[in-house]
Amino acid sequence: MADIEILDNGILIVSLRGELDNHKANQIRTHISTSIFTGQVRAIIWNLERLGFMDSAGIGLILGRMRDLVPSNGETLILNPTPTMEKIFKFSGLGSNIRHCTIDSAIGEIGGVLHEQ
Amino acid sequence: MNNEMTLSFVAIEENEALARMAMTCFITPLDPTIEEISEFKTIVSEAVTNAIIHGYEQDGKSLVTLHAIIQDNKITMTVRDEGMGIFDVEQAMEPMFTTRPFMERSGMGFTIMESFADSLSVESVIGSGTVVKFEKTFSPVTEVSRMR
Repeated sequence: MADIEILDNGILIVSLRGELDNHKANQIRTHISTSIFTGQVRAIIWNLERLGFMDSAGIGLILGRMRDLVPSNGETLILNPTPTMEKIFKFSGLGSNIRHCTIDSAIGEIGGVLHEQ
Repeated sequence: MNNEMTLSFVAIEENEALARMAMTCFITPLDPTIEEISEFKTIVSEAVTNAIIHGYEQDGKSLVTLHAIIQDNKITMTVRDEGMGIFDVEQAMEPMFTTRPFMERSGMGFTIMESFADSLSVESVIGSGTVVKFEKTFSPVTEVSRMR
């Protein structure tokens, strides 16, 4: 359902599978939040390439983790959503966080941003 | 094709997936596109989640009832609960409005439902429940669209 990996440079990669609804979001929320606070995470990449379905619970989950990142001024990128998910993100003001690219190029983008700071 | 169904289940979160799955099966004979299926599933998921967590606060015993009619290539569906009702429907339908920010509800449910449905209406009475009714038309399958 959710594979979570923290890279040495403080980037958290969350790869979601299956269906992300209210029920699933409640199951994985604490796990992701704990990783953010214990791993000194500075950025999150949500890889949705293998996610089959998402409703507004996904918006709640991602906005909530963006709030977790506010103290560290962290970046959030959302990779490879389906067209329907992309519409939902755009309704919610998250359109500018969407990328259609590989995890490696997303890491490159965040690395660049951190380097400039 | 014409068809009709009713499905009731108790208010627990696990039944959000049941509702999506059952309703997806019901519309499959209409041969909808992947995007149409996924938009329809999203509407169902939002309405059913609202009924379970807002209408009944997941009490595990009250019933959410789905009713759907297919006429030609259009589905007309209601999601009904007999729960607490919505205090101010107009306010509830505003983007980002939620009564449960601490549960990380985004407040985008009605906005998403309205965007993905042809039309949507909400009737709610405090103390007696809420009915969300919507219609969605699926693109008729033609030889050309089948070849794509």
